[in-house]
Amino acid sequence: MSHAMKRKRATVAGVMLASALTLTACTAPTGDANGGDSSGKSEVVVYTGVTGDFAENFNPFIEGNLQSTRGVIYEPLFFYNITSGGDPEPLLGESFEFNEAGTELTITMRDGVKWSDGEDLTAEDVVYTFELITEVPAFNTAGYDGQAELVDEKTVKFTFPEPSFTDAVSYIGNTPIVPEHIWAEKTDPTTDQNAEPIGSGAFTLSEFNSQNYLLAANEEYWGGRPEIDTVRYISLTGNQSATDTLLQGEIDLAGIFLPDVEGVFKGTPLEYTNTPLNQTSFFTCSDEAQGCTGPQTDVAVRTAIYNALNRDQLNSLAFSSYNGQMSPTYGLLERDEKWIADEFSEPVPGTPNVDAAIEALEGAGYARGSDGIFAKDGERVSLTVQVVTGWTDYIAAIDASAEQLLEAGIELKPAQVSFQEWTANKSNGNFQLSLDSLGQGVAADPYYLYMRYFHSDNTAPVGETSGQNFARYSNATVDQAIDAAGSTLDEAVKAEQYAVVQAEIVRDMPYIPILVNSALTIYNTDNVQGWPTEDNLYAYPRPDRAWDNGIVLKTIKPAN
Amino acid sequence: MRYIARKLGFYAVALWGALTVNFLLPRMLPGNPVDILVAKLSARGPVTDELRDSLELLLGGAPDQGILEQYWVYLVGIFTGNLGISITYYPVPVVEIIGQALPWTLVMIGIGTLLAFIVGVALGMLAGWKRGSWLDNLVPVTTMFQAVPYFWLALVLLYILSVGLGAFPVSGGYNYNVAQPGFTWDFVGTAIYHGTLPALTIVISSFGGWLLGMRNMMVSTLSEDYIVTAEAKGLRPMRIMTAYAARNAVLPSVAGFAISLGFVVSGSIVTEQVFSYPGIGSTLLQAVNNSDYALMQGLFLVITLAVLGANLIVDLLYGVIDPRTRANG
Amino acid sequence: MAHESSRTVDDAETASGDAAATVPTSGRTEKEIIFSDLEVPATASTNMALRKNSASPLTATFAAVRTNPPKKAPRWRSVLPPMTPKLATGLILIAAIVLFGVLGPVFLGNPRSIRDIGRTPPGGEFLLGTTQTGQDVLAQLAHATQGSLLIGLVVGVLALILSMIFGVIGSYVGGWLDESFSLFTNIMLVIPGLPLVIVISSYVEDKTIWVLAVVLAITSWAASARVLRSVTLSLRSRDYVAAARVSGEKSWRIIVVEILPNLIPVLASQFVLAIIAAILAEAGLSYLGLGASGTFTWGTMLFQAQNGFALTLGTWWWFVPPGILIAVLGGALSLVNFAIDEVVNPKLRTTTLRKDKKRLKKRLHTTTEGGVPV
Repeated sequence: MSHAMKRKRATVAGVMLASALTLTACTAPTGDANGGDSSGKSEVVVYTGVTGDFAENFNPFIEGNLQSTRGVIYEPLFFYNITSGGDPEPLLGESFEFNEAGTELTITMRDGVKWSDGEDLTAEDVVYTFELITEVPAFNTAGYDGQAELVDEKTVKFTFPEPSFTDAVSYIGNTPIVPEHIWAEKTDPTTDQNAEPIGSGAFTLSEFNSQNYLLAANEEYWGGRPEIDTVRYISLTGNQSATDTLLQGEIDLAGIFLPDVEGVFKGTPLEYTNTPLNQTSFFTCSDEAQGCTGPQTDVAVRTAIYNALNRDQLNSLAFSSYNGQMSPTYGLLERDEKWIADEFSEPVPGTPNVDAAIEALEGAGYARGSDGIFAKDGERVSLTVQVVTGWTDYIAAIDASAEQLLEAGIELKPAQVSFQEWTANKSNGNFQLSLDSLGQGVAADPYYLYMRYFHSDNTAPVGETSGQNFARYSNATVDQAIDAAGSTLDEAVKAEQYAVVQAEIVRDMPYIPILVNSALTIYNTDNVQGWPTEDNLYAYPRPDRAWDNGIVLKTIKPAN
Repeated sequence: MRYIARKLGFYAVALWGALTVNFLLPRMLPGNPVDILVAKLSARGPVTDELRDSLELLLGGAPDQGILEQYWVYLVGIFTGNLGISITYYPVPVVEIIGQALPWTLVMIGIGTLLAFIVGVALGMLAGWKRGSWLDNLVPVTTMFQAVPYFWLALVLLYILSVGLGAFPVSGGYNYNVAQPGFTWDFVGTAIYHGTLPALTIVISSFGGWLLGMRNMMVSTLSEDYIVTAEAKGLRPMRIMTAYAARNAVLPSVAGFAISLGFVVSGSIVTEQVFSYPGIGSTLLQAVNNSDYALMQGLFLVITLAVLGANLIVDLLYGVIDPRTRANG
Repeated sequence: MAHESSRTVDDAETASGDAAATVPTSGRTEKEIIFSDLEVPATASTNMALRKNSASPLTATFAAVRTNPPKKAPRWRSVLPPMTPKLATGLILIAAIVLFGVLGPVFLGNPRSIRDIGRTPPGGEFLLGTTQTGQDVLAQLAHATQGSLLIGLVVGVLALILSMIFGVIGSYVGGWLDESFSLFTNIMLVIPGLPLVIVISSYVEDKTIWVLAVVLAITSWAASARVLRSVTLSLRSRDYVAAARVSGEKSWRIIVVEILPNLIPVLASQFVLAIIAAILAEAGLSYLGLGASGTFTWGTMLFQAQNGFALTLGTWWWFVPPGILIAVLGGALSLVNFAIDEVVNPKLRTTTLRKDKKRLKKRLHTTTEGGVPV
């Protein structure tokens, strides 16, 4: 398609721009971005969904580095596939082993790995990387508290103060290994832009400017040179312009949202994979003891909202029916099947149960007022829900929810706020309801989500900045069970502990589950094959996900 | 000389006032950059409390200082060209980001504004000269273009001409397959090709204003007695139109143009958003959305300097063009 | 920015106002002569004030020869623009849109009602079709019209009041007050408007259209104040104002009775321009996702349509109507502004063209006879 389209563009452009632009009319259309241009090189053009110009930042330890830094240029020891929950894929490491207590972790390194400048990558680089993280607290994004020591040239041993079966995944699956001979020379690694990154990944930086940058295949890559010659990342202002550019055949891989994907890309070689991951919920400021105020502090009100929502309608009206069903346990239905307790194996129903909602409220002593809204002790069940201005799918979902809840005698008032305010209000507990989503952790295990969103370690009283437990949920039983699950490798014990957590949080419902948010990855199948599809999710397909993008780019091949 | 000194004095005061306002305003924004970064990052991957702490270590330094200390650092920074480090584009210095963005805005939007001015003034001259002609009667129509929201017109044109017909590119400032930024013919060519539609939309939506202003000035000027005198002397109409009428009538438009050049910088926000065009406007939007104080200050500074500079030039120019201004000053 | 286009109008005005303002007060005598030559009271338009700068010294000579006795107070009828087809068209269009904005929301249903019929083309039950979530576009348009008109009106009034305070009072009183007001005006003028709006409005937690209107007013009065200042400066030196002052009238009375009536056409013109600018600015802000939250305006409708991929999916009925209504209202207001301009500056009237020329010829004849060398 892109060929035909470009030719047409060339003609029209030539006619319309006439003499003044003859130069460009000739030059503009010649360079086909995709596989099979005159030079025979295959180039993949990627739009990650990030808006605005690029800043030259390939420092893998600074958040805000360019998307390809972690995964494409630098690699971790192991790759954990968040979509499948299978065994980790060895990258720079070959195997790992815990001692029984979970306090010692021994890693065997892969043989024959070279940095892109030709130097050997050894276990010493791994030790150096973890020492760097310990030395520079700003780099310690995973809370690494271990001690790395060199056993021999290809073996590293980590020692932890506590059992770290689950936490260690963050260290070995989420830490980019950097070359000692380069990084030891840097004077201030925290502000170093690392403009000429030397990594071990499948691609190396070729050229950079603020509108796009180019990576070239690493000829010496340990896994064999990737089949794609170059990868170009481009900057755009958002979904609309990305859609236009995709339609021009100028992007091969994009992570964006748009309604009616099939209709828009009909007749083009563009296809998509939908991988719902983040779980959209009404976050509630749930605990009066922490200073929350409003009807949502009553679990009966939260249960009533849960029952009154018509999720099928929300999905079709606001989310173009791309969203997935959610488990009331916040585990992902298929992936976490073995972690979801039997009693909660059913997903959250798509159709509303208004009777159950009304029952919940009446059972808790609420009575309908003359305006049709329930009230108790003079306080009406009227809730304000905060949403970010411009998040149109969420706003539409709230508009629809408001009508649905009205039938159950609950008033829902939307408040659109700026992203800044919304964020600040969440961490300070300055909200009644907030429409947001629960994100996943490093690996395919609900532990990380439970830890972040439900453990009382990660919350704070209203008025203080909390961790990600924005709901101000604190429950000693849950805390204990999460801690216990984190310090064992025994799956049966883990499942038992998760069942305890689930029984508590399904009852208390500090986050009212709605749907699993869709994540669309759009790719061009004309020039490139081997993209991750729903049948073969060898990695999470979105190009904005660290580590996974490196796996995708070294797996795809030019068509033909 | 007194006139010039007076003017320079005024602009020094205005600059100081504007700088102070620029300093205070970004700090009135709600939100905290670390919270915002964490929220954005959690959509992409795991964010732990440790990460949060580490971000605070990196980015949270400035807010601990007192407001006066920050003000002092700000003023010193401006005069030494050190505007701090951007949060959005951490750890790139603000000066570097502005330096990357500025040329795009200046060239594309500058040329669009210049073309709109030239077209508007030329047509306005003709319309005013031949009052009641078909061109003159079109004046109300052209001002209709000004009433159309600029981004609406741009989006429609983009959709029809670029997405539909494929006559123009849909996004970006140049074609990376043709050339990389630099002073080569290839690059200039592709940059012109990409800048044409954005510039065209600026021309379409804004030449009406210049046209009307020029036309009205022409009409006023033409009824001046010295024009009648010139006619009576038997000068050629072309010479009267250009050398006598238009030359006097264009003065206010020139003044307006210099000022509008200052607004070019801030006016680019919408244009750049629609066309995915690199520049100051899209950078500013990023900065505001990320509470990027340092970057915002830097951008405000550039915009402020542009407007003040343009105004100063106009005032000095007037001193030169109109001798009475000087004499009376 | 979206109101860039209108900005240029303002700029032209500003520039001319500025040019006039750069003429120091000592040049008063010259100004008097020129203005007294006009047949209609005030001379408001900036163009007129500016004319002074572009005029060749000859004009002054002519004018000096031929002085009309200045009229004390304006006749009210001369302030009202004559009804021309242009003006009539403008007024009818404005009336129609206002009617739609006032009555529409009453008769059309709830604009937020969601139905399971997303993106229905126009026709049948929904005259303008439905949005992505099955909301009635016509009902949204009615509410949006109301919202946008409200913003335009509120901003227009507020900006007018502010510009009168800083433009008229300052320049009439003169001295340090004038200097400081003028300085303040000029500083407000150089501070970039759109970024300022973004910053101030994000400071406010619940961004209603009222907040937005106040912010837009705060950032948009300066240009108008500069125009008013230059016109007031010239009015202030008029004979009848001087006479009133000499006879001991109070300052506020002189401003209200002698100066304001003469300013009415300029004020009207500035008011109309402020409305257009405000509506366009609101639309631009909304497009950037920074508009009023939870309220319908033309801008928020366009923003939602844009986010619902209205153009890509071919749902033009969602995207086109708000844009057209803005353009029509803007065009109608411009037509009214033309009519006002013609009151302010009668030379702009196309209909008087012939008469003008004759008059000029005659005048030239007279003055030549008067012994001025040609």
